Amino acid sequence: MIECTHVFKRYKNGVNALYDINLKIDQGEFVYIIGPTGSGKSTLIKLLDGEEISTKGKVNVVGIDVGKLRHSKVPIYRRNIGVVFQDFRLLPTKTVFENIAYALEVIDMNKQVIRSRVRSVMNLVGLDDKGNAFPNELSGGQQQRVAIGRAIANRPKVLIADEPTGNLDPAMSDEIMSLLEKINAAYGTTILMVTHDLTLVNKHRKRTIVLEHGHIVADLAEGGYVQHDQ
Amino acid sequence: MSSMINRIWRPIKEGFKGVFRHGAMSFSSASAVTITLIIISLFLIFTANVRRFTLGLEQEVQIACMVDYDHESAEEEDRISLAIQALPGVKSVTYSSKADEFQYYIDSFDDESTKEAFEPFRESNPMHDAFYVEVDNNTNIEEIASQIEAIDGISKVRYGGAEAVKLIGALRSIRTVGGILAIALSLLAILLIQNTIKLTIQARADEIVIMRNVGAKNGFIRAPFVIEGILIGALGAIIPIILTYFGYRYLYNLTGGHVISDMFTLIEPIPFIYQISLLLLIIGMIVGLIGSYFSVSRYLRWKR
Ligand SMILES: Nc1ncnc2c1ncn2[C@@H]1O[C@H](COP(=O)(O)OP(=O)(O)O)[C@@H](O)[C@H]1O
Ligand SMILES: [Mg+2]
Repeated sequence: MIECTHVFKRYKNGVNALYDINLKIDQGEFVYIIGPTGSGKSTLIKLLDGEEISTKGKVNVVGIDVGKLRHSKVPIYRRNIGVVFQDFRLLPTKTVFENIAYALEVIDMNKQVIRSRVRSVMNLVGLDDKGNAFPNELSGGQQQRVAIGRAIANRPKVLIADEPTGNLDPAMSDEIMSLLEKINAAYGTTILMVTHDLTLVNKHRKRTIVLEHGHIVADLAEGGYVQHDQ
Repeated sequence: MSSMINRIWRPIKEGFKGVFRHGAMSFSSASAVTITLIIISLFLIFTANVRRFTLGLEQEVQIACMVDYDHESAEEEDRISLAIQALPGVKSVTYSSKADEFQYYIDSFDDESTKEAFEPFRESNPMHDAFYVEVDNNTNIEEIASQIEAIDGISKVRYGGAEAVKLIGALRSIRTVGGILAIALSLLAILLIQNTIKLTIQARADEIVIMRNVGAKNGFIRAPFVIEGILIGALGAIIPIILTYFGYRYLYNLTGGHVISDMFTLIEPIPFIYQISLLLLIIGMIVGLIGSYFSVSRYLRWKR
Protein backbone atom coordinates (compact mmCIF):
# COMPACT_ATOMS: atom_id res chain seq x y z
CA MET A 1 0.00 0.00 0.00
CA ILE A 2 2.77 2.40 1.02
CA GLU A 3 6.37 1.55 0.26
CA CYS A 4 9.51 3.64 0.54
CA THR A 5 12.78 2.15 -0.63
CA HIS A 6 16.09 3.90 0.10
CA VAL A 7 14.45 7.32 0.13
CA PHE A 8 16.60 10.40 0.65
CA LYS A 9 15.38 13.98 0.72
CA ARG A 10 17.62 16.99 0.46
CA TYR A 11 15.93 20.39 0.12
CA LYS A 12 17.13 23.00 -2.36
CA ASN A 13 18.72 25.00 0.44
CA GLY A 14 20.97 22.04 1.23
CA VAL A 15 19.12 20.72 4.30
CA ASN A 16 19.10 16.94 4.44
CA ALA A 17 15.71 16.02 5.85
CA LEU A 18 15.58 12.26 5.30
CA TYR A 19 18.22 9.54 4.98
CA ASP A 20 17.70 6.07 3.53
CA ILE A 21 14.09 5.60 4.58
CA ASN A 22 12.78 2.05 4.06
CA LEU A 23 9.20 1.52 4.98
CA LYS A 24 6.37 -0.83 4.13
CA ILE A 25 2.81 -0.33 5.32
CA ASP A 26 0.06 -2.78 4.43
CA GLN A 27 -3.58 -2.21 3.54
CA GLY A 28 -5.68 -1.51 6.64
CA GLU A 29 -2.78 -0.73 8.98
CA PHE A 30 -2.84 2.18 11.42
CA VAL A 31 0.67 3.54 11.90
CA TYR A 32 2.10 6.41 13.94
CA ILE A 33 5.15 8.36 12.89
CA ILE A 34 6.71 10.10 15.85
CA GLY A 35 9.88 12.04 16.47
CA PRO A 36 11.09 15.44 17.65
CA THR A 37 10.52 18.67 15.71
CA GLY A 38 12.74 18.84 12.64
CA SER A 39 13.21 15.06 12.46
CA GLY A 40 11.63 14.90 8.98
CA LYS A 41 8.08 13.75 9.73
CA SER A 42 6.38 16.39 7.59
CA THR A 43 8.92 15.85 4.84
CA LEU A 44 7.97 12.19 4.73
CA ILE A 45 4.28 13.16 4.46
CA LYS A 46 5.09 15.59 1.63
CA LEU A 47 6.90 12.86 -0.26
CA LEU A 48 3.87 10.62 0.16
CA ASP A 49 1.27 13.18 -1.00
CA GLY A 50 3.38 14.37 -3.93
CA GLU A 51 4.14 17.87 -2.63
CA GLU A 52 7.86 17.14 -2.68
CA ILE A 53 9.94 14.73 -4.74
CA SER A 54 12.55 12.47 -3.17
CA THR A 55 16.16 13.18 -4.07
CA LYS A 56 16.94 9.46 -4.25
CA GLY A 57 14.91 6.29 -3.84
CA LYS A 58 11.39 5.35 -4.67
CA VAL A 59 8.09 6.30 -3.04
CA ASN A 60 5.19 4.06 -4.00
CA VAL A 61 1.65 4.62 -2.78
CA VAL A 62 -1.37 2.57 -3.93
CA GLY A 63 0.80 1.25 -6.74
CA ILE A 64 1.77 4.70 -8.02
CA ASP A 65 5.37 5.90 -8.23
CA VAL A 66 4.72 9.27 -6.60
CA GLY A 67 8.07 10.83 -7.46
CA LYS A 68 7.52 10.25 -11.16
CA LEU A 69 4.16 12.02 -11.32
CA ARG A 70 3.87 14.85 -13.79
CA HIS A 71 2.66 18.17 -12.39
CA SER A 72 -0.72 17.81 -14.07
CA LYS A 73 -1.23 14.30 -12.69
CA VAL A 74 -0.58 15.19 -9.05
CA PRO A 75 -4.21 16.21 -8.34
CA ILE A 76 -5.49 13.01 -9.88
CA TYR A 77 -3.13 10.98 -7.71
CA ARG A 78 -4.36 12.88 -4.64
CA ARG A 79 -7.83 11.49 -5.16
CA ASN A 80 -6.45 8.14 -4.00
CA ILE A 81 -5.29 9.48 -0.68
CA GLY A 82 -6.84 11.69 1.95
CA VAL A 83 -4.59 14.20 3.68
CA VAL A 84 -5.25 15.98 6.95
CA PHE A 85 -3.06 18.73 8.41
CA GLN A 86 -2.52 20.32 11.77
CA ASP A 87 -3.97 23.62 10.51
CA PHE A 88 -7.13 21.97 9.07
CA ARG A 89 -6.83 23.72 5.67
CA LEU A 90 -10.51 24.21 5.07
CA LEU A 91 -11.69 26.58 2.36
CA PRO A 92 -12.64 29.63 4.44
CA THR A 93 -15.40 30.91 2.19
CA LYS A 94 -17.11 27.56 1.80
CA THR A 95 -19.53 26.03 4.26
CA VAL A 96 -18.91 22.69 5.96
CA PHE A 97 -21.16 21.00 3.44
CA GLU A 98 -19.38 22.68 0.50
CA ASN A 99 -15.93 21.87 1.87
CA ILE A 100 -16.71 18.18 2.03
CA ALA A 101 -18.57 18.26 -1.28
CA TYR A 102 -15.57 19.89 -2.98
CA ALA A 103 -13.53 16.68 -2.75
CA LEU A 104 -16.35 14.90 -4.57
CA GLU A 105 -16.99 17.62 -7.13
CA VAL A 106 -13.40 17.35 -8.33
CA ILE A 107 -14.05 13.75 -9.35
CA ASP A 108 -17.19 14.85 -11.16
CA MET A 109 -19.51 12.80 -8.98
CA ASN A 110 -23.23 13.05 -9.58
CA LYS A 111 -24.88 15.80 -7.53
CA GLN A 112 -27.44 13.56 -5.84
CA VAL A 113 -24.73 11.11 -4.88
CA ILE A 114 -22.61 13.96 -3.53
CA ARG A 115 -25.47 15.19 -1.38
CA SER A 116 -26.15 11.84 0.26
CA ARG A 117 -22.43 11.06 0.61
CA VAL A 118 -21.73 14.39 2.30
CA ARG A 119 -24.63 13.80 4.70
CA SER A 120 -23.34 10.39 5.67
CA VAL A 121 -19.82 11.77 6.12
CA MET A 122 -21.12 14.60 8.32
CA ASN A 123 -22.93 12.00 10.35
CA LEU A 124 -19.78 9.88 10.65
CA VAL A 125 -17.70 12.81 11.92
CA GLY A 126 -20.51 13.93 14.20
CA LEU A 127 -21.38 17.24 12.55
CA ASP A 128 -24.91 16.52 11.31
CA ASP A 129 -26.21 19.97 12.11
CA LYS A 130 -23.21 22.04 10.96
CA GLY A 131 -23.65 21.80 7.20
CA ASN A 132 -24.28 25.50 6.68
CA ALA A 133 -21.64 26.74 9.12
CA PHE A 134 -18.47 28.37 7.86
CA PRO A 135 -15.14 27.08 9.21
CA ASN A 136 -14.52 30.14 11.38
CA GLU A 137 -17.77 29.46 13.22
CA LEU A 138 -16.49 26.09 14.41
CA SER A 139 -14.14 25.02 17.21
CA GLY A 140 -10.74 23.59 16.32
CA GLY A 141 -11.89 20.04 17.00
CA GLN A 142 -14.94 20.51 14.80
CA GLN A 143 -12.84 22.00 12.01
CA GLN A 144 -10.50 19.03 12.15
CA ARG A 145 -13.46 16.69 11.94
CA VAL A 146 -14.63 18.52 8.81
CA ALA A 147 -11.12 18.16 7.36
CA ILE A 148 -11.14 14.43 8.13
CA GLY A 149 -14.61 14.15 6.64
CA ARG A 150 -13.40 15.84 3.47
CA ALA A 151 -10.32 13.61 3.32
CA ILE A 152 -12.33 10.39 3.48
CA ALA A 153 -15.41 11.51 1.54
CA ASN A 154 -14.37 9.73 -1.65
CA ARG A 155 -13.34 6.60 0.31
CA PRO A 156 -9.60 6.75 -0.34
CA LYS A 157 -7.49 3.70 0.46
CA VAL A 158 -4.99 5.78 2.42
CA LEU A 159 -5.43 8.57 4.92
CA ILE A 160 -2.36 10.58 5.85
CA ALA A 161 -2.51 12.95 8.80
CA ASP A 162 0.26 15.38 9.76
CA GLU A 163 -0.18 16.16 13.46
CA PRO A 164 -3.98 16.26 13.25
CA THR A 165 -4.25 16.84 16.98
CA GLY A 166 -1.41 19.35 17.17
CA ASN A 167 -3.70 22.32 17.69
CA LEU A 168 -6.22 20.57 19.91
CA ASP A 169 -6.59 20.05 23.66
CA PRO A 170 -6.29 16.47 25.03
CA ALA A 171 -10.03 15.82 25.17
CA MET A 172 -10.51 16.88 21.56
CA SER A 173 -7.42 14.93 20.53
CA ASP A 174 -8.97 11.82 22.02
CA GLU A 175 -12.14 12.43 20.04
CA ILE A 176 -10.16 12.76 16.82
CA MET A 177 -8.27 9.56 17.64
CA SER A 178 -11.52 7.68 18.14
CA LEU A 179 -12.82 9.03 14.86
CA LEU A 180 -9.69 7.88 13.01
CA GLU A 181 -9.93 4.44 14.64
CA LYS A 182 -13.58 4.26 13.60
CA ILE A 183 -12.67 5.07 9.99
CA ASN A 184 -9.83 2.53 10.04
CA ALA A 185 -12.19 -0.16 11.29
CA ALA A 186 -15.23 0.73 9.18
CA TYR A 187 -13.59 1.17 5.77
CA GLY A 188 -10.28 -0.61 6.22
CA THR A 189 -8.58 2.69 5.37
CA THR A 190 -4.80 2.60 5.79
CA ILE A 191 -3.94 5.38 8.22
CA LEU A 192 -0.57 7.02 8.65
CA MET A 193 -0.55 9.56 11.43
CA VAL A 194 2.28 11.90 12.36
CA THR A 195 2.20 13.05 15.94
CA HIS A 196 4.43 14.09 18.79
CA ASP A 197 1.74 13.53 21.37
CA LEU A 198 3.27 10.63 23.32
CA THR A 199 0.32 10.37 25.67
CA LEU A 200 -1.84 9.57 22.68
CA VAL A 201 0.69 7.10 21.30
CA ASN A 202 0.91 5.26 24.58
CA LYS A 203 -2.84 5.26 25.13
CA HIS A 204 -4.00 4.12 21.69
CA ARG A 205 -1.28 1.61 20.89
CA LYS A 206 -0.43 1.03 17.22
CA ARG A 207 2.59 0.25 15.14
CA THR A 208 4.94 3.19 15.73
CA ILE A 209 7.77 4.40 13.51
CA VAL A 210 10.28 6.68 15.17
CA LEU A 211 12.21 9.32 13.20
CA GLU A 212 15.25 11.15 14.48
CA HIS A 213 17.42 13.49 12.43
CA GLY A 214 15.94 12.05 9.27
CA HIS A 215 16.62 8.42 10.15
CA ILE A 216 14.16 5.72 11.14
CA VAL A 217 15.49 4.74 14.54
CA ALA A 218 12.71 2.36 15.57
CA ASP A 219 9.72 0.57 14.13
CA LEU A 220 7.71 -0.86 17.00
CA ALA A 221 5.09 -3.28 15.75
CA GLU A 222 3.23 -3.45 19.06
CA GLY A 223 3.46 0.29 19.68
CA GLY A 224 4.03 2.29 22.81
CA TYR A 225 7.08 4.49 23.08
CA VAL A 226 9.09 5.89 25.92
CA GLN A 227 11.30 8.82 25.15
CA HIS A 228 14.78 7.64 26.19
CA ASP A 229 16.30 11.00 27.10
CA GLN A 230 13.54 11.77 29.56
CA MET B 1 -24.65 13.91 -19.73
CA SER B 2 -25.46 15.94 -16.65
CA SER B 3 -21.75 16.10 -15.99
CA MET B 4 -21.25 18.08 -19.20
CA ILE B 5 -23.78 20.70 -18.12
CA ASN B 6 -22.26 20.62 -14.69
CA ARG B 7 -18.82 21.33 -16.09
CA ILE B 8 -20.09 24.56 -17.62
CA TRP B 9 -22.57 25.53 -14.95
CA ARG B 10 -20.47 24.86 -11.88
CA PRO B 11 -17.72 27.45 -12.48
CA ILE B 12 -20.34 30.08 -13.27
CA LYS B 13 -22.18 29.37 -10.05
CA GLU B 14 -18.95 29.22 -8.08
CA GLY B 15 -17.72 32.41 -9.75
CA PHE B 16 -20.84 34.30 -8.65
CA LYS B 17 -20.53 32.93 -5.13
CA GLY B 18 -16.88 33.93 -5.07
CA VAL B 19 -17.67 37.54 -5.94
CA PHE B 20 -20.07 37.82 -3.02
CA ARG B 21 -18.14 35.79 -0.48
CA HIS B 22 -15.00 37.81 -1.11
CA GLY B 23 -17.01 41.01 -1.06
CA ALA B 24 -14.26 43.39 0.04
CA MET B 25 -11.73 42.06 -2.47
CA SER B 26 -14.28 42.09 -5.26
CA PHE B 27 -15.11 45.67 -4.39
CA SER B 28 -11.51 46.86 -4.51
CA SER B 29 -10.87 45.13 -7.83
CA ALA B 30 -14.10 46.43 -9.30
CA SER B 31 -13.20 49.97 -8.19
CA ALA B 32 -9.92 49.80 -10.06
CA VAL B 33 -11.86 48.71 -13.14
CA THR B 34 -14.36 51.54 -12.65
CA ILE B 35 -11.75 54.28 -12.48
CA THR B 36 -10.01 52.91 -15.53
CA LEU B 37 -13.13 52.60 -17.60
CA ILE B 38 -14.21 56.15 -16.79
CA ILE B 39 -10.91 57.40 -18.16
CA ILE B 40 -11.20 55.17 -21.20
CA SER B 41 -14.77 56.35 -21.77
CA LEU B 42 -13.73 60.01 -21.72
CA PHE B 43 -11.04 59.35 -24.27
CA LEU B 44 -13.32 57.31 -26.47
CA ILE B 45 -15.94 60.06 -26.51
CA PHE B 46 -13.34 62.72 -27.12
CA THR B 47 -11.52 61.02 -29.98
CA ALA B 48 -14.72 59.82 -31.63
CA ASN B 49 -16.04 63.39 -31.72
CA VAL B 50 -12.79 64.88 -32.93
CA ARG B 51 -12.88 62.29 -35.65
CA ARG B 52 -16.42 63.31 -36.50
CA PHE B 53 -15.33 66.98 -36.79
CA THR B 54 -12.52 66.03 -39.11
CA LEU B 55 -14.81 63.97 -41.28
CA GLY B 56 -17.27 66.83 -41.52
CA LEU B 57 -14.55 69.22 -42.56
CA GLU B 58 -13.02 66.85 -45.03
CA GLN B 59 -16.35 66.44 -46.77
CA GLU B 60 -16.43 70.14 -47.40
CA VAL B 61 -13.06 70.09 -48.98
CA GLN B 62 -12.70 68.98 -52.57
CA ILE B 63 -10.05 69.68 -55.11
CA ALA B 64 -11.00 71.44 -58.34
CA CYS B 65 -8.56 70.69 -61.18
CA MET B 66 -8.63 72.85 -64.33
CA VAL B 67 -7.59 71.33 -67.64
CA ASP B 68 -5.24 73.30 -69.94
CA TYR B 69 -6.92 74.73 -73.05
CA ASP B 70 -4.58 72.72 -75.25
CA HIS B 71 -5.37 69.38 -73.55
CA GLU B 72 -9.12 69.33 -74.03
CA SER B 73 -9.35 66.39 -76.43
CA ALA B 74 -11.30 63.36 -75.22
CA GLU B 75 -8.17 61.11 -75.19
CA GLU B 76 -6.17 63.66 -73.22
CA GLU B 77 -8.91 64.09 -70.67
CA ASP B 78 -9.34 60.33 -70.28
CA ARG B 79 -5.64 60.08 -69.62
CA ILE B 80 -5.77 62.89 -67.03
CA SER B 81 -8.80 61.36 -65.33
CA LEU B 82 -7.09 57.99 -65.07
CA ALA B 83 -3.91 59.60 -63.78
CA ILE B 84 -5.83 61.35 -61.01
CA GLN B 85 -7.73 58.22 -60.09
CA ALA B 86 -4.47 56.32 -59.86
CA LEU B 87 -3.20 58.59 -57.06
CA PRO B 88 -3.38 57.01 -53.63
CA GLY B 89 -6.00 58.66 -51.43
CA VAL B 90 -8.30 59.73 -54.25
CA LYS B 91 -11.85 58.64 -53.55
CA SER B 92 -13.72 59.89 -56.60
CA VAL B 93 -13.22 62.03 -59.66
CA THR B 94 -16.11 63.87 -61.28
CA TYR B 95 -15.83 65.49 -64.69
CA SER B 96 -17.42 68.80 -65.49
CA SER B 97 -17.14 70.24 -69.03
CA LYS B 98 -16.40 73.92 -69.62
CA ALA B 99 -20.02 74.32 -70.85
CA ASP B 100 -21.26 72.91 -67.54
CA GLU B 101 -18.91 75.18 -65.70
CA PHE B 102 -20.17 78.19 -67.58
CA GLN B 103 -23.78 77.29 -66.86
CA TYR B 104 -22.97 76.70 -63.22
CA TYR B 105 -21.28 80.09 -63.07
CA ILE B 106 -24.22 81.89 -64.64
CA ASP B 107 -26.67 80.06 -62.38
CA SER B 108 -24.80 81.31 -59.37
CA PHE B 109 -26.20 84.80 -60.01
CA ASP B 110 -29.69 85.64 -58.90
CA ASP B 111 -30.69 88.58 -61.05
CA GLU B 112 -31.59 88.11 -64.67
CA SER B 113 -29.68 91.19 -65.91
CA THR B 114 -26.33 89.83 -64.75
CA LYS B 115 -27.10 86.50 -66.32
CA GLU B 116 -27.94 88.35 -69.57
CA ALA B 117 -24.70 90.26 -69.40
CA PHE B 118 -22.66 87.04 -69.47
CA GLU B 119 -24.53 85.42 -72.35
CA PRO B 120 -22.27 86.88 -75.11
CA PHE B 121 -19.32 84.97 -73.62
CA ARG B 122 -21.00 81.57 -74.02
CA GLU B 123 -19.51 81.19 -77.50
CA SER B 124 -15.93 81.98 -76.57
CA ASN B 125 -16.33 80.27 -73.17
CA PRO B 126 -13.38 81.31 -71.04
CA MET B 127 -13.95 78.48 -68.51
CA HIS B 128 -11.81 75.36 -68.27
CA ASP B 129 -12.90 71.74 -68.38
CA ALA B 130 -12.58 70.56 -64.79
CA PHE B 131 -12.22 67.51 -62.60
CA TYR B 132 -13.60 67.58 -59.06
CA VAL B 133 -11.69 65.27 -56.78
CA GLU B 134 -12.85 63.92 -53.45
CA VAL B 135 -10.18 62.41 -51.27
CA ASP B 136 -10.34 59.64 -48.71
CA ASN B 137 -10.55 60.50 -45.04
CA ASN B 138 -7.23 60.85 -43.38
CA THR B 139 -5.36 61.86 -46.52
CA ASN B 140 -3.30 64.95 -46.87
CA ILE B 141 -5.15 67.27 -49.27
CA GLU B 142 -2.21 69.55 -49.94
CA GLU B 143 -0.05 66.66 -50.97
CA ILE B 144 -2.62 65.22 -53.35
CA ALA B 145 -3.29 68.65 -54.83
CA SER B 146 0.36 69.15 -55.66
CA GLN B 147 0.55 65.67 -57.16
CA ILE B 148 -2.43 66.48 -59.39
CA GLU B 149 -0.93 69.77 -60.40
CA ALA B 150 2.12 67.93 -61.63
CA ILE B 151 0.05 65.89 -64.10
CA ASP B 152 0.62 67.01 -67.68
CA GLY B 153 -2.40 68.95 -68.94
CA ILE B 154 -3.57 70.34 -65.62
CA SER B 155 -3.35 74.10 -65.59
CA LYS B 156 -4.48 74.91 -62.10
CA VAL B 157 -5.62 73.28 -58.90
CA ARG B 158 -7.78 74.84 -56.21
CA TYR B 159 -8.98 73.40 -53.01
CA GLY B 160 -11.55 74.76 -50.63
CA GLY B 161 -10.49 76.81 -47.67
CA ALA B 162 -6.89 76.79 -46.56
CA GLU B 163 -8.35 77.38 -43.09
CA ALA B 164 -10.30 74.16 -43.26
CA VAL B 165 -7.22 72.29 -44.38
CA LYS B 166 -5.16 73.67 -41.53
CA LEU B 167 -7.91 72.81 -39.08
CA ILE B 168 -8.10 69.28 -40.41
CA GLY B 169 -4.37 68.98 -39.87
CA ALA B 170 -4.67 70.28 -36.32
CA LEU B 171 -7.57 67.97 -35.51
CA ARG B 172 -5.64 65.08 -36.94
CA SER B 173 -2.75 65.78 -34.57
CA ILE B 174 -5.14 66.14 -31.63
CA ARG B 175 -6.66 62.84 -32.52
CA THR B 176 -3.31 61.14 -32.81
CA VAL B 177 -2.15 62.51 -29.48
CA GLY B 178 -5.51 61.64 -27.91
CA GLY B 179 -5.34 58.14 -29.31
CA ILE B 180 -1.83 57.56 -28.06
CA LEU B 181 -2.74 58.92 -24.64
CA ALA B 182 -5.82 56.73 -24.53
CA ILE B 183 -3.84 53.63 -25.37
CA ALA B 184 -1.09 54.50 -22.90
CA LEU B 185 -3.58 55.19 -20.12
CA SER B 186 -5.51 52.04 -20.91
CA LEU B 187 -2.35 49.97 -20.70
CA LEU B 188 -1.45 51.60 -17.43
CA ALA B 189 -4.95 50.97 -16.15
CA ILE B 190 -4.89 47.36 -17.26
CA LEU B 191 -1.65 46.92 -15.34
CA LEU B 192 -3.29 48.49 -12.31
CA ILE B 193 -6.27 46.17 -12.54
CA GLN B 194 -4.10 43.15 -13.20
CA ASN B 195 -2.12 44.04 -10.12
CA THR B 196 -5.20 44.42 -7.95
CA ILE B 197 -6.55 41.09 -9.12
CA LYS B 198 -3.15 39.54 -8.59
CA LEU B 199 -3.11 40.79 -5.01
CA THR B 200 -6.57 39.45 -4.30
CA ILE B 201 -5.61 36.09 -5.72
CA GLN B 202 -2.35 36.09 -3.80
CA ALA B 203 -4.46 36.49 -0.68
CA ARG B 204 -6.21 33.34 -1.79
CA ALA B 205 -3.08 31.37 -2.63
CA ASP B 206 -3.84 29.16 0.38
CA GLU B 207 -7.20 28.29 -1.11
CA ILE B 208 -5.54 27.31 -4.37
CA VAL B 209 -3.10 25.04 -2.53
CA ILE B 210 -5.94 23.43 -0.60
CA MET B 211 -7.88 22.85 -3.80
CA ARG B 212 -4.92 21.06 -5.35
CA ASN B 213 -4.42 19.07 -2.15
CA VAL B 214 -7.98 17.85 -2.35
CA GLY B 215 -7.47 16.63 -5.92
CA ALA B 216 -8.72 19.50 -8.09
CA LYS B 217 -7.12 19.76 -11.50
CA ASN B 218 -5.85 23.14 -12.64
CA GLY B 219 -8.75 23.83 -14.97
CA PHE B 220 -11.21 23.01 -12.22
CA ILE B 221 -9.52 25.48 -9.89
CA ARG B 222 -9.01 28.15 -12.50
CA ALA B 223 -12.46 28.31 -14.08
CA PRO B 224 -14.36 29.85 -11.12
CA PHE B 225 -11.59 32.39 -10.56
CA VAL B 226 -11.74 33.43 -14.21
CA ILE B 227 -15.53 33.74 -14.10
CA GLU B 228 -15.10 35.79 -10.95
CA GLY B 229 -12.65 38.06 -12.76
CA ILE B 230 -15.04 38.53 -15.68
CA LEU B 231 -17.88 39.33 -13.29
CA ILE B 232 -15.78 41.84 -11.40
CA GLY B 233 -14.87 43.45 -14.72
CA ALA B 234 -18.54 43.64 -15.65
CA LEU B 235 -19.50 45.04 -12.24
CA GLY B 236 -16.74 47.62 -12.55
CA ALA B 237 -18.23 48.74 -15.87
CA ILE B 238 -21.63 49.63 -14.40
CA ILE B 239 -20.80 53.09 -13.09
CA PRO B 240 -18.77 54.13 -16.16
CA ILE B 241 -21.67 53.04 -18.36
CA ILE B 242 -24.20 55.01 -16.33
CA LEU B 243 -21.94 58.06 -16.37
CA THR B 244 -21.41 57.76 -20.11
CA TYR B 245 -25.09 57.23 -20.79
CA PHE B 246 -26.39 60.20 -18.88
CA GLY B 247 -23.29 62.38 -19.09
CA TYR B 248 -23.06 62.33 -22.86
CA ARG B 249 -26.77 62.94 -23.34
CA TYR B 250 -26.54 65.85 -20.94
CA LEU B 251 -23.56 67.29 -22.83
CA TYR B 252 -25.36 66.88 -26.12
CA ASN B 253 -28.51 68.60 -24.94
CA LEU B 254 -26.56 71.33 -23.21
CA THR B 255 -24.65 72.25 -26.37
CA GLY B 256 -27.53 71.57 -28.74
CA GLY B 257 -25.25 69.16 -30.57
CA HIS B 258 -22.76 71.82 -31.62
CA VAL B 259 -19.56 73.14 -30.16
CA ILE B 260 -17.97 76.49 -30.98
CA SER B 261 -19.64 76.79 -34.38
CA ASP B 262 -22.13 74.93 -36.53
CA MET B 263 -19.25 73.28 -38.26
CA PHE B 264 -18.55 71.08 -35.24
CA THR B 265 -21.47 68.77 -34.74
CA LEU B 266 -21.34 66.23 -31.92
CA ILE B 267 -22.17 62.61 -32.58
CA GLU B 268 -25.84 61.91 -31.88
CA PRO B 269 -26.19 60.16 -28.49
CA ILE B 270 -28.12 57.21 -29.91
CA PRO B 271 -26.67 54.74 -30.81
CA PHE B 272 -23.29 56.24 -29.89
CA ILE B 273 -23.72 55.81 -26.13
CA TYR B 274 -24.88 52.24 -26.60
CA GLN B 275 -21.77 51.48 -28.62
CA ILE B 276 -19.50 53.08 -26.02
CA SER B 277 -21.31 51.26 -23.20
CA LEU B 278 -20.95 47.93 -24.92
CA LEU B 279 -17.30 48.64 -25.55
CA LEU B 280 -16.74 49.54 -21.88
CA LEU B 281 -18.48 46.35 -20.76
CA ILE B 282 -16.40 44.25 -23.11
CA ILE B 283 -13.14 45.93 -22.08
CA GLY B 284 -14.01 45.43 -18.40
CA MET B 285 -14.79 41.77 -18.89
CA ILE B 286 -11.73 41.07 -21.00
CA VAL B 287 -9.44 42.79 -18.55
CA GLY B 288 -11.03 40.79 -15.71
CA LEU B 289 -10.61 37.59 -17.65
CA ILE B 290 -6.99 38.17 -18.59
CA GLY B 291 -6.05 39.47 -15.15
CA SER B 292 -7.53 36.56 -13.26
CA TYR B 293 -6.38 33.92 -15.73
CA PHE B 294 -2.74 34.89 -15.50
CA SER B 295 -2.81 35.46 -11.76
CA VAL B 296 -4.28 32.03 -11.00
CA SER B 297 -2.10 30.30 -13.53
CA ARG B 298 1.01 31.70 -11.96
CA TYR B 299 -0.01 30.18 -8.64
CA LEU B 300 -0.93 26.88 -10.14
CA ARG B 301 2.37 26.53 -11.91
CA TRP B 302 4.64 26.37 -8.93
CA LYS B 303 2.40 24.64 -6.41
CA ARG B 304 2.75 20.90 -6.62
N1 LIG C 1 10.59 23.52 2.30
C1 LIG C 1 11.73 23.32 2.98
N2 LIG C 1 12.88 23.85 2.52
C2 LIG C 1 14.02 23.67 3.19
N3 LIG C 1 14.15 22.97 4.32
C3 LIG C 1 13.03 22.43 4.85
C4 LIG C 1 11.76 22.58 4.20
N4 LIG C 1 10.83 21.94 4.95
C5 LIG C 1 11.48 21.41 6.00
N5 LIG C 1 12.80 21.70 5.95
C6 LIG C 1 13.83 21.25 6.88
O1 LIG C 1 13.85 19.85 6.87
C7 LIG C 1 14.01 19.33 8.19
C8 LIG C 1 12.82 18.44 8.53
O2 LIG C 1 11.65 19.22 8.62
P1 LIG C 1 10.22 18.61 8.81
O3 LIG C 1 10.05 17.51 7.86
O4 LIG C 1 9.25 19.72 8.73
O5 LIG C 1 10.29 18.07 10.29
P2 LIG C 1 9.12 17.73 11.34
O6 LIG C 1 7.84 17.72 10.61
O7 LIG C 1 9.52 16.41 11.89
O8 LIG C 1 9.18 18.80 12.37
C9 LIG C 1 14.11 20.54 9.10
O9 LIG C 1 15.48 20.78 9.32
C10 LIG C 1 13.51 21.65 8.31
O10 LIG C 1 14.09 22.87 8.64
MG1 LIG D 1 6.04 18.85 10.94
